[in-house]
Amino acid sequence: MADRAFDTRRLPGAATLAIACFAILYLPMVILVANSFNEGRVIGQWEGLSLHWYGKALQNEAFVAAAKTSLILATLAAMIATITATMAALATTRTRGFKGEGAIHITLNQPIMVPEIVLAIALLIIIAQIKQATGYSGLGYLVIAHSAFCIPFAYMPIRARLEGMDLTLETAAADLYASRFYAFRKVTLPLLAPAILAGFMLAFVISLDDVVISDFLKSPGQDTLPTYLLGELKRNLTSEIYAISSLLLLISVLIVGGSWLLTRKKT
Amino acid sequence: MLDLRNLTKRFGKGDSAVTALHEVSFSITEGEFFTLLGPSGCGKTTLLRLIAGFEPPTSGALVLDGRDIAHTPPNRRPVNTVFQNYALFPHLTVAENVGFALGAQGRPKVEIAETVTRMLDLVQLSHLAQRKSGELSGGQQQRVALARALAPKPRILLLDEPLSALDMKLRKEMQVELKRLQQETGLTFIFVTHDQEEALTMSDRIAVMGGGRIQQIASPRELYDQPANRFVAGFIGETNFLAATCAAGRLILPQAATTLPVAHADGPVTLMVRPEHVVLAGAQPDALTLTAQVDRLVYFGTDTHVHLHLADGCTLVARVQNGLRGGLPCRQGETIPVSLPGDALHLLPQEAG
Repeated sequence: MADRAFDTRRLPGAATLAIACFAILYLPMVILVANSFNEGRVIGQWEGLSLHWYGKALQNEAFVAAAKTSLILATLAAMIATITATMAALATTRTRGFKGEGAIHITLNQPIMVPEIVLAIALLIIIAQIKQATGYSGLGYLVIAHSAFCIPFAYMPIRARLEGMDLTLETAAADLYASRFYAFRKVTLPLLAPAILAGFMLAFVISLDDVVISDFLKSPGQDTLPTYLLGELKRNLTSEIYAISSLLLLISVLIVGGSWLLTRKKT
Repeated sequence: MLDLRNLTKRFGKGDSAVTALHEVSFSITEGEFFTLLGPSGCGKTTLLRLIAGFEPPTSGALVLDGRDIAHTPPNRRPVNTVFQNYALFPHLTVAENVGFALGAQGRPKVEIAETVTRMLDLVQLSHLAQRKSGELSGGQQQRVALARALAPKPRILLLDEPLSALDMKLRKEMQVELKRLQQETGLTFIFVTHDQEEALTMSDRIAVMGGGRIQQIASPRELYDQPANRFVAGFIGETNFLAATCAAGRLILPQAATTLPVAHADGPVTLMVRPEHVVLAGAQPDALTLTAQVDRLVYFGTDTHVHLHLADGCTLVARVQNGLRGGLPCRQGETIPVSLPGDALHLLPQEAG
């Protein structure tokens, strides 16, 4: 490694650029988190360390309701997306090549590429019709929409793991009298479990974080954490929002970190 | 016990189809150590996969104990495999690996535990029962793979180059170990290898394969002494080939001063003689006598290889055992008399190319 002819670290200005990028990325977050612990309500005016705003947030019924909705939504959507993604990954890696396999692969990953606003508008048109026809205005619409755009995020780690798995293990299981189902339950699934969990966590975070689709599709009075924050921001900027944002950040960091720990290669 | 009848396997379709096995037929008897030997690409692994059930044959029958199992899925065949890369389940312990097949068959827990203990004893790994398979050395993984395949008491154990990943010393140990296991269990082994020495030392019978066909099936001794064709003769051991002719009951080697009586139809033949049978002396009874020039002497410890060439440029290798007192049989550049004893000669039909 030391003898590499080309080392980006030696390019002029590389260090400065890197530091600038990290600063732009993380400094605002640091300021936000720091302010959430500020006793006072004005940014830049430090009045002492306090958990005041966290306490206030937790007593705010609208926030708690939105947080609950978000967690339920993310859990359901991530579960549906992960199960679908697992089945899709098995179908695209554990079967003989079939016609249209490539098209399926592209279709599965499309939600990552499509502008979210387009997807949101398209979903809104259909769901508004269904809402009118059925009168149902519950969380179901959001669960379905979130499941759909979370699938590719769950699909990626699961497929990668399946592709990297030694196929002779499944052959060996069959050789040792395992039926297809027994081999899947005892060999494929346990070996796939870390990737499935990682896929679930990624999908969970993606759902938890979504603003555009949630905002378009939510029924009146319904709020997820991000849409609630957006609404609050339009009205007034209080330190309570910093506390709520910090909590959201903490959850995301924990989950993404956990997902990384599960999928990194064992040394 | 196992009959292969005209097994043919083609991969691909139409013009791009490749025939990996051509009409392979033979029988294996109970308790035999049977080896499929051949260079890579000869079809030996394909044949093993057909017997294991991982691939269906394109045509032909595979009859085990009177039942055609050619299209029975692998999990319904009383045949187990030791894979080349072992294919141990990395998330399971050694004991769980060994007990896997019995679990899949739905046997009672007590029986599984008993069998696992017995199998681990057999391969001398009882002390590692609770380890994960990734924590074992290559030789230990090999033993676990063996125990796992033996645990469900298969009718036939298939071994796909199981020793190729081990180093030389471990390999020799495992060869002895495998033979011991086979004799102790009385099980039928079908062993695939490209290593002729491994095949010769372990097998009861060997099928030499080349180009998707069985070239010869015989005991190690017979293969070495009486190869059926040039492919087998060249693949097993080192050998010299010389073009000769049979005419009126005599074997005529153009370069030789003498001829020998022969019971062979008249016509051109290929004469085969093993290097260790070439005598570096003239005037032997019942031998073809020639003169040759010494090109090179190569020292091999137990013996010396003498590379010779004849007057017409044909080359010949002789192997001379090194005695206690040094001293070489001849010197480089020297012209010496050479004899090919009649009983060491083996005639092969002459082949094109």
